[in-house]
Amino acid sequence: MSLFHHQAISLSRGGLTRRSFLHAVSAGAIAAGTLSFRDVISLRADDLRKQGMSMILLYMQGGPSQFETFDPKPGLDTGGPTKAIPTAIPGIEIAEGWSQVAKQMTDIALIRSMNNKEGNHQRALYQMHTGYVPSGSVKHPSLGSAIAKEIGDPAHDLPAVVSVGRTVGAGFLGVDYEPFAVQNPGQIPQNVTPLIDTSRFNRRLGVLNELEQDFAARGGETVVANHQRLYEKTRKLVQSPQVKTFDLSSEPQALQQKYGETQFGKGCLLARRLVEAGVTFVEVTLGNWDTHDDNFNRCKTLSEQCDPGFAALVADLKDRGRLDKTLVVWVGEFGRTPRINPRTGRDHYPRVFNAAIAGGGIKGGQVIGASTKDGMAVERDPVSVADLFTTVCKSLHVDPRTENMSPIGRPLKIVDGGEPVAKLFG
Amino acid sequence: MFRINRWFAVLFFAATSVVLSMLLSRVESIAAAQETKVPVSKPSQVAAKSPKSGTDHETAGALPAPLAARDVSQRIDALIDADLKQGKLMPAPQTTDEDFLRRVTFDLAGTTPEPNVVSLFGLDPDPAKRTKTIDRLLESADYARNWAQYWREVLYSRATDPRSRISQKQFETWMEENLAANRGWDKVATQLLTATGSVQENGATALMFAHQGDPEEIASEASRIFLGIQIQCANCHDHPTDKWKREQFHQLAAFFPRVALRRDPNGGVASFNVVSLDAGPGGGRFAEPGAIAREPEKFIERVDRNKDHKITLDEVQNDQFKRVFTLLMERADANKDGALTAAELKAMPIPEQQGRGSLEHYMPNLEDPNDRGQKIDPVFFVSNTKAGAGMKDTARRELAAKLFTSTSNEWFAKAFVNRIWSEMLGEGFYMPIDDIGPERTPNSPEVLTLLSRQFAAHDYDIKWLFRTIANTHAYQRSIRAKSAAETAPTFAAAVPTRLRSDQLYDALTTVLGIGDIGGNRAPQRGAGAGQRVDNSPRGQFNAIFGFDPSTPQDEITGTVPQALFFMNSPLLQTLIRGAGQTRLARILQDFPNDEDALTELYLLVLSRQPSEKELKICRKFLSAAPNRREGYEDLMWSLLNSSEFLTKR
Repeated sequence: MSLFHHQAISLSRGGLTRRSFLHAVSAGAIAAGTLSFRDVISLRADDLRKQGMSMILLYMQGGPSQFETFDPKPGLDTGGPTKAIPTAIPGIEIAEGWSQVAKQMTDIALIRSMNNKEGNHQRALYQMHTGYVPSGSVKHPSLGSAIAKEIGDPAHDLPAVVSVGRTVGAGFLGVDYEPFAVQNPGQIPQNVTPLIDTSRFNRRLGVLNELEQDFAARGGETVVANHQRLYEKTRKLVQSPQVKTFDLSSEPQALQQKYGETQFGKGCLLARRLVEAGVTFVEVTLGNWDTHDDNFNRCKTLSEQCDPGFAALVADLKDRGRLDKTLVVWVGEFGRTPRINPRTGRDHYPRVFNAAIAGGGIKGGQVIGASTKDGMAVERDPVSVADLFTTVCKSLHVDPRTENMSPIGRPLKIVDGGEPVAKLFG
Repeated sequence: MFRINRWFAVLFFAATSVVLSMLLSRVESIAAAQETKVPVSKPSQVAAKSPKSGTDHETAGALPAPLAARDVSQRIDALIDADLKQGKLMPAPQTTDEDFLRRVTFDLAGTTPEPNVVSLFGLDPDPAKRTKTIDRLLESADYARNWAQYWREVLYSRATDPRSRISQKQFETWMEENLAANRGWDKVATQLLTATGSVQENGATALMFAHQGDPEEIASEASRIFLGIQIQCANCHDHPTDKWKREQFHQLAAFFPRVALRRDPNGGVASFNVVSLDAGPGGGRFAEPGAIAREPEKFIERVDRNKDHKITLDEVQNDQFKRVFTLLMERADANKDGALTAAELKAMPIPEQQGRGSLEHYMPNLEDPNDRGQKIDPVFFVSNTKAGAGMKDTARRELAAKLFTSTSNEWFAKAFVNRIWSEMLGEGFYMPIDDIGPERTPNSPEVLTLLSRQFAAHDYDIKWLFRTIANTHAYQRSIRAKSAAETAPTFAAAVPTRLRSDQLYDALTTVLGIGDIGGNRAPQRGAGAGQRVDNSPRGQFNAIFGFDPSTPQDEITGTVPQALFFMNSPLLQTLIRGAGQTRLARILQDFPNDEDALTELYLLVLSRQPSEKELKICRKFLSAAPNRREGYEDLMWSLLNSSEFLTKR
């Protein structure tokens, strides 16, 4: 089916595409050592899957202020009234309101020199999820989907990519890597629970399967085969004992409180349960960071939700021995202006912003880069979105230059350009 | 160096304004020539190399005499039959009446036929009943609605800003009117390319709004949608697989730099206007902070009434710059003295989108991102027609529309014909449908040429095209399993395709006998921030089942939430109960005999009678069911969950 499509492309272009090349590669070529490093990497994918690496993205939608999170500038005009508090690492100070995260600083690295050009929410959000700026011609896969394709377990009952809140989809990577959206963390997702008993549910699936055969025989064989694959995947989810992963009630009350009884806190706890159950990529969104007005009060409210969830997640993963295999990244689409506007707000500022990163073999307890004294620019060690993404890939043992073939026959790397931040690795 | 450039630019602008009117008059004469369908003469001094394509560029101006739909249908079949004979392929037989009616009703009217319509059609002895049905459906209100929904998804699925979907209802209404009035495809395209005004009032602004007035995005999408050519691959480098050069992409983008999007200051959050940046007398070039930042001295000179080299609110109070001044104050007033100096303006943070708000298009310098790049004048890459520098937005876009829709531009007709043919037959001449061009080899090229030239000769008459395609034997063939030999489309058999979300929604409401499906919460898709979700039942359904209609069919394989909806949605479970006021309850009541009831159920859900084998399976299933009602509920569930229900066969 998809092979047919790609053959058609290569025929109509009068040339061979990379994918059809890979299809045509013989065992002989491998034995003869004529494959590139990259091809060998892709052959190693099965080994990678066994390593059980996973990632949790804490996405701060709207663009969090660096001054009110991890790069406070107390005493300066640009810093506003926000005070700085000490952390578990002497010399590293973060904004007040983040006392729980401060305690976990041993495991968290801060990047204070994120630097980008996109100051528009949609474009920056897309870029921060896919590594590419949006373009009408191709829907790029999200990083989560691209990673799931490399290291996810295709036979798993649960979807490889789960998102608490809306997100960017798998683009051309297709159904197997499409994020499964959870609206209300803590509850079993919509339509997952059958309303009829198992035996009747199985009876229905049985007769459906029988009745599909006629259509398959008269020309619908591809359609029926795809449909059956999807229904088998969905049935597995519906009937899997793993569905209970979505239900948080079995978690100790004290732990639930640590995460916070908020949508975000529940999302973080769900994320931990999901990666433990074998899900490759989980995104938890916290919205409302677009503080064009009333920045300081709004940031305080937001930190009250974010601080316990983020901190409890890192601590909990560590307690359970999962932190080394789980990369946690905290980031938004951009930072906010040093200048405080007349509405006590801060506006979009992609020139300097923060990211926080923990687990997955990352060396915590350090700060990468710095902003200038007034926060107007990056002082040293600028980190681009591509640098951050290649860092993620390195942590998860994914080759960032792996190419996926877009529908118009153009190969696209998981990440184009960028270098991993060397200081983050031991 | 920078200063010198700056002064040069100022002098250049001064000089240009004199030359501008001369150029404009030249362009108007081109436009006038276009009006009377005289092919545009190609200025020989145009820099870009002339294309050496082997296509019928030279003869494209002379269109064939328009033929009746029926004649063209027959010629198409003759051409395809000859191809099949040569390839030693037996065409599949013509469809049954049931399959034909379901297929053509989905294709033209976007829904499934009612069971009694299926039965009556089967019984009708009129040999011309298929042609008559095609005519009837093309005149139905459902035709315009169905295809307006199709084009809505084509346009918005790749919107640069997903928020632009707030205007999709306006687009749909506008498109529906055009389709109902059967306006030519050239007229529709022209309106989409030239629209200005409020996105809430003028649905034709959809393309400009969806791409935020960004010239490169508009150029990419206009080329993809109207010409089927993916010229944006030449954005950063020459096209990897086609002949297009990087400069040619930017020359196309240069038709659109003056399109801008403005929030209506008196309107609500969703009030945007598509405007021309050169609108309004004088000073239009400073309508954007970006333009001011590039030439602060010039701007201050223009506004500085008391000549103190600073500007304050007083000085712009009665000026067109008042609005932009407040914006500038927030961004640029570093010392907060309420006045702006040239130095402050120069140091102002870069606007969110660099290069935006400029009156001309600049091709970025790939070596130096801080460089503004090279100024590019509009040239239409297909015909190498040059538009001249400094044209006003409306004139520029009108010229672009003329060049796009000109009958001497073969790609305009070919892209549309390829798209509609592919949507109807399941396979196109070119695939993917929006990646065509002079260096690709289509399947059945003679058919494509015949059909697209006739389409152009019929003044891009959309209904004529549908009528012609629907009446071919090629369209009316049965589906069948593909043989291993068929690696490229041959049109020897119909190809089953996935129903679009709107078609599926309408089929579902028809089958369930309800107006709307209420209350299904949809997982929201797309890039998030601020995206307004259409919360109507149809909008929520589309959020689960929607896909970009330009996606190749083999990539549309369904999603887990879609399967979950049909499997377990409480709403659907209620509507397929065998008791109460449901259609199933009615069937059970009216038809005590199982064979009748099953036939009725199949006619209702799949618009066909069950086969003997299917009847046997169903009977066996019913005999094992705890009771009749439950057995039928399970069967109806199975039919709704079948791949056949989701598929146009």
